[in-house]
Amino acid sequence: MLVAEGLVKRYGETTALTGFDLTVAPGEIVGLIGHNGAGKTTFVEVVAGLVRPDAGRVTVAGLPPGRAARRRLGVAPQDIALYHSATVRQNLRLFGALAGLRGRALSTSIDEVAEALDLTGLLDRAVGVLSGGQQRRTQAATALLHRPAVLLLDEPTAGADPTTRRALLEVVRQRAADGTAICYTTHYLPELEDLGATIAVARNGRVVARGDRDTLLAGLPGEVLVEFRDGPPQRIATTDPAATLADVLATGRTPVAVDIRRPDLDALYAALEVS
Amino acid sequence: MYRFAAVARHNAVLFAREPGPAIGRIVMPLVFVSLLRPLYQAAQGRAAGTTQAVAGTLVLFSLLGMSLVGWAIVTERGWRTLDRLRATPARTIELVAGKAVPVIVLLLAQQAVLIGYAVAVLGLRPANYAMLALAVLGWAVALLGMGSAIGALARSHSELSLVVDTGSVVLGGLAGAMVPLSTMPGWARAAAPASPGYWAMQSISGALDGDTGTALRAIGVLLAIGIAAGAVAAARIARGWRRGHPL
Repeated sequence: MLVAEGLVKRYGETTALTGFDLTVAPGEIVGLIGHNGAGKTTFVEVVAGLVRPDAGRVTVAGLPPGRAARRRLGVAPQDIALYHSATVRQNLRLFGALAGLRGRALSTSIDEVAEALDLTGLLDRAVGVLSGGQQRRTQAATALLHRPAVLLLDEPTAGADPTTRRALLEVVRQRAADGTAICYTTHYLPELEDLGATIAVARNGRVVARGDRDTLLAGLPGEVLVEFRDGPPQRIATTDPAATLADVLATGRTPVAVDIRRPDLDALYAALEVS
Repeated sequence: MYRFAAVARHNAVLFAREPGPAIGRIVMPLVFVSLLRPLYQAAQGRAAGTTQAVAGTLVLFSLLGMSLVGWAIVTERGWRTLDRLRATPARTIELVAGKAVPVIVLLLAQQAVLIGYAVAVLGLRPANYAMLALAVLGWAVALLGMGSAIGALARSHSELSLVVDTGSVVLGGLAGAMVPLSTMPGWARAAAPASPGYWAMQSISGALDGDTGTALRAIGVLLAIGIAAGAVAAARIARGWRRGHPL
């Protein structure tokens, strides 16, 4: 279980975290979303022990930051952080060994994770010659090797191709089903829907909303896009698409295409900005 | 212990996968000393000329060898792997020692190959082999500390190259590695002890000539330099490099 309470982190004049609270239960996937600069990555760095908070506390599997907590934690940072001149296997061996795996257990774990992330055929290739998606999968693999109790995945699919995305999401789902507490930062709301994740919205260094997708988006305006044969298309924000469409038809104009869009992440952000 | 071994093995692998710079740093001094020894012998006599040629070449090229240390650190910063290592359960000492051991071995190999070549081919006859081994070890520790500090503080590979290349020539020159100290101007002789290379020359020449007192004192200074520079590097590395920071 991951618990963060009242985290504050300042960098000079900038306050990156302003009272950040987040709890992730075993088996739960929490999708942490927010604009750039919302504090997501700083939060990940604090939990990983790379940055010391100015206030607040964080525990990983009940342990304060430190070696014991890091044994129960798997981290895949946002930026690719791998040894480019070494092979995928050499990278996995290093991070697996540092996480405490040895001998046969390490080899078996490498084979299993490589298979799950479709890396088996790449194990003996240098990371530097791999595509961005392959590097992403390798990076995620380094965090998964030791089956940590808590997983921090910071935008693990950024710039990834659909194959990579599918493979990663499947592994994340599997690990959650096995009881891992997963904090997953992303800009892609559909991924979180795919994962059935609880959504936490970060803004200005704190979590300002948390809940499942339907709860968070309930009452927010979607959009009706109507195209006419004569004249420009109309884009109308609405919480009641049927009524809006009826109003459009009542004007006597004949639409040639209608697109009803449900409220999305942008609508949520917009609503939070206003609030 | 196994985490230390894992880091050491991995760093050895990294050097082995890109051996060019290390091979160059080991081979170049052999060529240099072979070509220049006759000049030094003509100026200083057979034994003294050989000692000067070997000790000077060793100090100059091992200073240039600092780039191997610095380059490794700057490269890791670029790969962002240092922070990645800090997020693992490994102790700092396991990470530092695991990274230092392959580098120390490389720096020792560079010096050992040159000395071995000088003994086998150039007729160098060290008066005290044990003291020479200590001197070489002390110098390697100083180089490791200085190289790590430069690698931790440099903002780019090109800045690292500038500092190491220029610094090596300046420090090596001041140390008397290129021209014997006795023939240098008074101001240069006065400034020489400010160069770590001076103490390396003192320790190695002392060991080669059998001047134990001079060698031991110089080795002590080299160890102090290595520890101080290493502390600077460790302090900088422990702070990490946030995203958006150069490298």
